[in-house]
Amino acid sequence: MTVATDGIPEDTGSSHGGFKLKEWIFTTDHKRIGIMYLIGSIAALLVAGLMAMGIRIEQTYVGESGLIQYFVGDFAGNMTTGDAYNAALYFHGAAMILAFLIPGLTGFAANYLVPLMIGAPDVAFPRINALSLWLFWMGILVALLSFIIPDAPDIMWTGYPPYSITTSTNTAFYVFTVHLLGFASILGAVNFLVTIIYMRAPGMGWNQMNMFVWTTFAAFIIQLIFVPVLAAAVTLLLLDKYAGTNFYNPDAGGDVLLYQNLFWFYSHPAVYVIFLPAMGIMYEVIATMAKNRIFNYKVAVWGGIIGILVITGEVWVHHLYIAGMPNWIRIGQMITTLMISVPVGLMVISWWGTLYKGSITYSTAMKYASANMFLVLVGGLTGIPLAMTSMTVHLSETSFIHAHFHFIMALFATFSMFAAVYHWFPKMTGRSAEGKLADAAFYVTFLGTQLTFWPLFIIGIEGMPRRYWNYEMFPQFEPYHMVATIGSFIIAFGAALMILNWIKAAINGPKVGANPWKSRSLEWTHTDIIAGPGNFPKPVTVSEDWTPYDYANADGTPNTSN
Amino acid sequence: MKHKAHRFFASMLVAAFFASTPGMAAEIPNIPTPTEGWNTVWHEVLIDLWVIGILFGSLGAYFLVKYRAKDPDAVGSGKKLDFRQALAWCLIPCALFLADDFMLAAKGWTLWNTQRTIPAGSMEIKVTASQWNFTYEYPNGVEISSTDRDTDKNLFGTEIMDGDLVIPVGKPIVMRMISSDVIHSFGLTDYRLKEDIMPGRVTYIWFMARKPNISQVVCVEFCGTNHSGMYNRVVAVSKANYDTWLAKKKQEATLRRRTYAANIIKR
Amino acid sequence: MRALTVLLGLVLICALLPVGAQAQYYKPPESDLDPSIMVIDEKKFLGAKLDGNVPLITKDGKEVPLSSFLGQPLILVLAYYTCDGSCSVINHELIKMLDDVKRVQHGKDYRILTLSFDNHDNLKTTGAFRRKLEGIEKYKDSWTLATFKNEADLKAQTAKIGFKFFWSPQDRLFLHPGAFLFFSPEGRLIRILYPSQADAGDVDLALLDARQGQFRPQEIINFAISLCYSYNYQDGKYTLSIPIFVGFGALGIGITTLFSSLYIYRRRQQKILKGEIDEAQSA
Repeated sequence: MTVATDGIPEDTGSSHGGFKLKEWIFTTDHKRIGIMYLIGSIAALLVAGLMAMGIRIEQTYVGESGLIQYFVGDFAGNMTTGDAYNAALYFHGAAMILAFLIPGLTGFAANYLVPLMIGAPDVAFPRINALSLWLFWMGILVALLSFIIPDAPDIMWTGYPPYSITTSTNTAFYVFTVHLLGFASILGAVNFLVTIIYMRAPGMGWNQMNMFVWTTFAAFIIQLIFVPVLAAAVTLLLLDKYAGTNFYNPDAGGDVLLYQNLFWFYSHPAVYVIFLPAMGIMYEVIATMAKNRIFNYKVAVWGGIIGILVITGEVWVHHLYIAGMPNWIRIGQMITTLMISVPVGLMVISWWGTLYKGSITYSTAMKYASANMFLVLVGGLTGIPLAMTSMTVHLSETSFIHAHFHFIMALFATFSMFAAVYHWFPKMTGRSAEGKLADAAFYVTFLGTQLTFWPLFIIGIEGMPRRYWNYEMFPQFEPYHMVATIGSFIIAFGAALMILNWIKAAINGPKVGANPWKSRSLEWTHTDIIAGPGNFPKPVTVSEDWTPYDYANADGTPNTSN
Repeated sequence: MKHKAHRFFASMLVAAFFASTPGMAAEIPNIPTPTEGWNTVWHEVLIDLWVIGILFGSLGAYFLVKYRAKDPDAVGSGKKLDFRQALAWCLIPCALFLADDFMLAAKGWTLWNTQRTIPAGSMEIKVTASQWNFTYEYPNGVEISSTDRDTDKNLFGTEIMDGDLVIPVGKPIVMRMISSDVIHSFGLTDYRLKEDIMPGRVTYIWFMARKPNISQVVCVEFCGTNHSGMYNRVVAVSKANYDTWLAKKKQEATLRRRTYAANIIKR
Repeated sequence: MRALTVLLGLVLICALLPVGAQAQYYKPPESDLDPSIMVIDEKKFLGAKLDGNVPLITKDGKEVPLSSFLGQPLILVLAYYTCDGSCSVINHELIKMLDDVKRVQHGKDYRILTLSFDNHDNLKTTGAFRRKLEGIEKYKDSWTLATFKNEADLKAQTAKIGFKFFWSPQDRLFLHPGAFLFFSPEGRLIRILYPSQADAGDVDLALLDARQGQFRPQEIINFAISLCYSYNYQDGKYTLSIPIFVGFGALGIGITTLFSSLYIYRRRQQKILKGEIDEAQSA
């Protein structure tokens, strides 16, 4: 086992050449931990994606498909269609958010990139970092167990009581998954906040940091403050179900709305834990590929990222617009929720402005980034009516909501993850994953997402309810569901191509030089193509006027200095 | 199974025809309703979204095409903003976004008042939600259970099911809602309204039909195995037809009670 | 269950007091007295709305509509004025509790109305009943005793809120629930408290509850207090909402962890630095 005394691992495997399982299991190297986070989160994505396929297949036609039981491992057909569908939906939601998006962006991307970007040899507490990884893996394992146990949880990722208490299914697996992943996340948060605060390369001021480092910083502040609230809320759920307490039992003095408030007090900020790092990756990809400085960096950071951080704790009630909160709270929250458009708008302007007068090379990552411009626009704008209380009384709990958050959260952040993998693929493997297969995978996936979610917007406006496996009351929506299902098959095909491409490229993709994108960011300029233990061959210092984006001088002429 | 259900419901929708009573229009109170309000504001919001969307979308697309790299070594030539430019690029967009937000908030607020202010002279129906059924109790004590799906064809030429929520046209209807087990939600899709139903708390919703029609009410808060089976139709009929229907239901209920009592006595 | 026993007790007091010795001979058979009569089925009737147009006759003989008592939370006590037992006990209990209510002020924040459900009650019996209520003088501006003007209204309004009562000819008294009914400013039934279970604190919270979340900005503290409690249907009392405090407590955990880890890291770095300096000095 490696021992870390002063933040620098003394031995993170004698070399990165040659694969030794033991070295990977006991590693405290942030890069290896990042890659293992990536593998775990992609595994979660694939299983949760399989559930999504089951959900789409079930909804293709009015009535039972008879197939959904197979997706949740019930080959004997003991479960009713409703139960099997609910179990699949629960797993899809919980795994996508808790085991793919959050660990993917704050686990993989943050672990791999933050120390490299700030010029640090590793994170502040490498062994705690390893612990966090293994807690994450355990969380995934507990989540996967729900396919083996009888009575798989069917409480949706929100787990609202009293249903989650009165249901005969195993709420405990949900609670333990949240505990493990939440604890992993808190440890990660502590680690990275300390790292970013104390371990930046000498000379690197706060306003010289990469956008991704800033977004990670903000995301981890949110995690650290709000995750314990969620953990506490679900713990009380556990006590209510198994220890007979009455925290949420309305008959015995509990309050059903309290859980929803505590849950969304964390889970709305959690949206930004996903959105911000995804946005950070986009900034990195775009600035690098357009070879341009971040447009209005300080406003994007202090108005955009910090603006979201400030506003995030005050808007959770918009998830409870139809839950019987007092009228004035609902209307007050409409105004705070609409104001989210200000920081997000500033970030979008900064993104668009970064392209202005750029010199764009279309790598695969840049293609995903271009698609993301469209996704963030659609997802963001459809959020506006949802911020309005009086619009949400109809749109809430319809597939309009579900299309909205798939655009802004699921698709946007997932595309960001994919872009990150492509963009830093040379860094991780020393090989390039570009090529025809990568392009084909991208176009197919993008087409599939649009086919899947646009019909859901349309029928959502007409009132198609969420979480319905059967919609016999709305037979007129059947054609739309069919298109959505076809779309989901196309996405699955695209994803399969992409994974195939990654595996192929990792094994025998073309080798690349140290800085294939000609980036000015530290992780490309100051390390070998595959960064070794300790990351940087010699300690990094940066000058006062250095930024990761100084492709051009202040007046727009090319910066020729190194 | 699937196609059967399909045909059954399609035929029901087609078969729904209603004669409008002459002079009925005069009876309908001229008050703003949540339904029309929602549709109006939705169209205004849509315009807002399309304008912003097309503006940003076309600008983004233009940038993506226009600023392609001319040669692989070229770098971007974006200038660093000086303080005044940076501030302007912060404050002006902020002001524009806020202006749009407040415009939308004002519209939303007006509509919200319509949605939450129950007009005078409304009729109150009590809803009790349970897994997986809505029970409606009319002011005269008639109870309707949403899962009764038997049709009754002999009533004024319309197919009405036993579980239908039948309401008179032109009368504001208030639903007073409570749940007996878990959280449910009362979703009136065509009336553009929803409100959760919770154990231990009472919630309200009001709506009004202007024309005879058929729409759906669905449970929209996840409530377990048969969540998607928790729905029924809302059938708006003329006042006269409503009275006929209600009288018949009352009669049926009385008959049922008498039969029940008779059975007990016999035993 | 406790609620029922206490209520039955109250009814028995009501029965025993006026008839005295008779009570020794008469024991109502258990099956005769359906206990559900003595409570209001709150799950069924919460939210029911009184008709504001119903005319009432106050103790001074004035005819006023019921709506004149609404517009702010209302405590309604249904009683009959020729009753010597439970009715005056209940009203007395309410006086005692209101004396201890601190967060809201009678007259300004709420009103109290005692209404007779006996259509034989008149100005004389009303006056006589009121004279027996010690301590009501303090509430003379906010507490009204009244009767229904029409018997039809009486039946309709009591049925609407599920208040059942019947005359027992043997005992020559009414059997009825003894409860405080809390109404919202618009006249909806918000909470039912029984004097046997609730105390002044519960009355206080029920009055806040009756506001239905509509608080003036200066009453933010009252609003916060009402959030911290929720009603316990089993015990008929308000209880503290523990999850709120657990949630707030949990908010501190993350922040504490962050600051302690910042401290630990710095101390460790200083130690290393010191070690290096020592090494350099010794060399």
